[in-house]
Amino acid sequence: MFKLYASLRKELLLLINDKVGLALMFLMPLLLVFIITIIQDSAYKMVNENQIPLLVVNHDNGKEGHKLVELLTKSGLFKIDSQNAIPQESLKSELLSRGKMIALYIPATFSAGLESNAEDVSTILMDDLGLERDTTRHQKVSMPKLSFYNDPVLQENYSYSVMSVIQSYMSVIENSLMIDRMYANMDIAERSAKLKDKMISNRVGIDQIVARNNNSTAIPNSTQHNVPAWTIFAMFFMVVSLGSNIVKERINGSFLRLKTMPTTFMVVMFSKMAVYVVVAALQVALTFSMGVWILPKLGLPKLSVPDNIIATIAVIFISSMAAVSYALMIGAFAKTEQQANGFGAISIIIFGAIGGILVPTFVMPGFMQFFSNFSPLHWCLEGFYVLFLKGGSWQDLRTVFTFLGVFIVFCQLGTYFKLRLERII
Amino acid sequence: MAGQVCIAIRDVYKRYKSAQEDSLSDVSLNIMQSDVFGLLGPNGAGKTTLISILCGIIPVSSGQVQFFNNGAPYSNAERKSRIGFVPQEYAFYQELTPRQNLDYFGAMYNLPKKKLEMRREHLLEVLGLQKSADRKVGTFSGGMKRRVNLAIGIIHEPDILFLDEPTVGVDVQSRNAIIRYLQQINQAGTTIVYTSHHMSEAEEFCKNIALIDHGRVIAAGGLQHLKSAHDAGSLQTLFINLTGEEYRD
Repeated sequence: MFKLYASLRKELLLLINDKVGLALMFLMPLLLVFIITIIQDSAYKMVNENQIPLLVVNHDNGKEGHKLVELLTKSGLFKIDSQNAIPQESLKSELLSRGKMIALYIPATFSAGLESNAEDVSTILMDDLGLERDTTRHQKVSMPKLSFYNDPVLQENYSYSVMSVIQSYMSVIENSLMIDRMYANMDIAERSAKLKDKMISNRVGIDQIVARNNNSTAIPNSTQHNVPAWTIFAMFFMVVSLGSNIVKERINGSFLRLKTMPTTFMVVMFSKMAVYVVVAALQVALTFSMGVWILPKLGLPKLSVPDNIIATIAVIFISSMAAVSYALMIGAFAKTEQQANGFGAISIIIFGAIGGILVPTFVMPGFMQFFSNFSPLHWCLEGFYVLFLKGGSWQDLRTVFTFLGVFIVFCQLGTYFKLRLERII
Repeated sequence: MAGQVCIAIRDVYKRYKSAQEDSLSDVSLNIMQSDVFGLLGPNGAGKTTLISILCGIIPVSSGQVQFFNNGAPYSNAERKSRIGFVPQEYAFYQELTPRQNLDYFGAMYNLPKKKLEMRREHLLEVLGLQKSADRKVGTFSGGMKRRVNLAIGIIHEPDILFLDEPTVGVDVQSRNAIIRYLQQINQAGTTIVYTSHHMSEAEEFCKNIALIDHGRVIAAGGLQHLKSAHDAGSLQTLFINLTGEEYRD
């Protein structure tokens, strides 16, 4: 026991003396969580809470164009900039020069075209019902076309979303016009309001439900993603401290010296793992505390801690073990401290990128999503997602534990065989 | 007890993987108890390989090495407890203090806490490290680091001590302190096996020597006997006579 105590004490002293390593392991995740959460939160708010700037040029000679602009304004989704004096030909250049991302052009025949179409629909209906109608020939105006302009840098799905919104308001106007025309033809124009209300206002609603496995109330937000994501990133960054620590011991002969002593190398490795697993647990405690107590004070969403504490501890433990095992392997294979630090840090950034730490994996192309399965950071993050965002159970965590378990065994075996090849073990 | 074989090396060969030649070839030596035995030779002769084999760091390709205590063979576990090793490198933690290093390595030798504290303070005192005992070793001079390296190797009062170039790169004061202390522990019964390039130091310190070149023992025995047998006035002359003057890689 005294041997184990001495070994643990030595590891702790080495860690305390490694100021750069400590800063990377404890200061970096706090800064990353703080900065990235603020940036992502403001981007999230920009899309969800701010109005979309929309340049509108209404050349319609009737009243329907004005009605459309009114509906778009009332929706609260858009910040309308009406510039009716702009000719259609110069709208492209105006859009770019005014710094607007999207513009809507309403043509002069907009109302006339809609009314003509409504008249046609009404006529067909009256004829089919065998009802009398006004047989005066109306002037035919072809169905109008709205023109939607967008800046080329705007994401395609964003443009489609805006067009869908406009389309839905167009349906309201068109349906309203058709009902008016049919009731007018039947000489009961004053009674159209009830049907319009039934057809237009009373439509199927959509309830948005976030898929979770229990009654968790955690709502996905920048904090719920960034706190676990950057904590995992920082956990794996222990490769800089632990990896170079092992390289030093290999190079300076301390490991070989131990080989001449009546001790087992397992004591050394166990001590290293124990100390750095505790470090990882402290990293989690620190960043999670920040998420719970500090971020809300800065106006950012609060971190909702999962209910299943045992599962949370298990995910933290297996993630720490994965990080420690990876650092041990890098330390065993690197020939110099520079190699351990350089390769270790870059590999963690790459693993982080493909693992969904920087951007979520679902926005990645298919082949990158496949590669993300090879990133241990991806599985650690998946574990936290199951706990935080999906209120996960042990069943959900099974795949996470399997992948991380395989990774840990792979790294431990790699370390063992490399140190055996060097005759250290 | 002097006069009894402490280490018996029989027909030892060593060839590293992918090497074309043997690093050690047909090495047979007896090292007596309480001896100060010098393993001398030019660079690349095989001294460090032999000392690594004796310490159990690398295995022999063929042959046998046996350790005895008063005629009775040591078990493998006993051997590890009773030998001390001072490598050529500073094989300790530069980020820790001498006290912290001695505490750690002492514990690895299974020393009980009380005895460890006693030995630690004794060694810090006799090796002139007391005043710097709580400073990080990384800030020390080369001589001080050598003394820390030595202190770690003898913290558990070994019966047999292996020293690989223990005084390389140190000033005269540190060298004298180290040699003086080694002579003291030898007089107290510790067998010392030592490699060095300092012929004058070896001449002053060693009782018996083995000259190794190209992995083979080219001469072995009492220092005075070898000098007279090869008509050499000094160990350095003996060394040059037997190993030649050409450069070694």
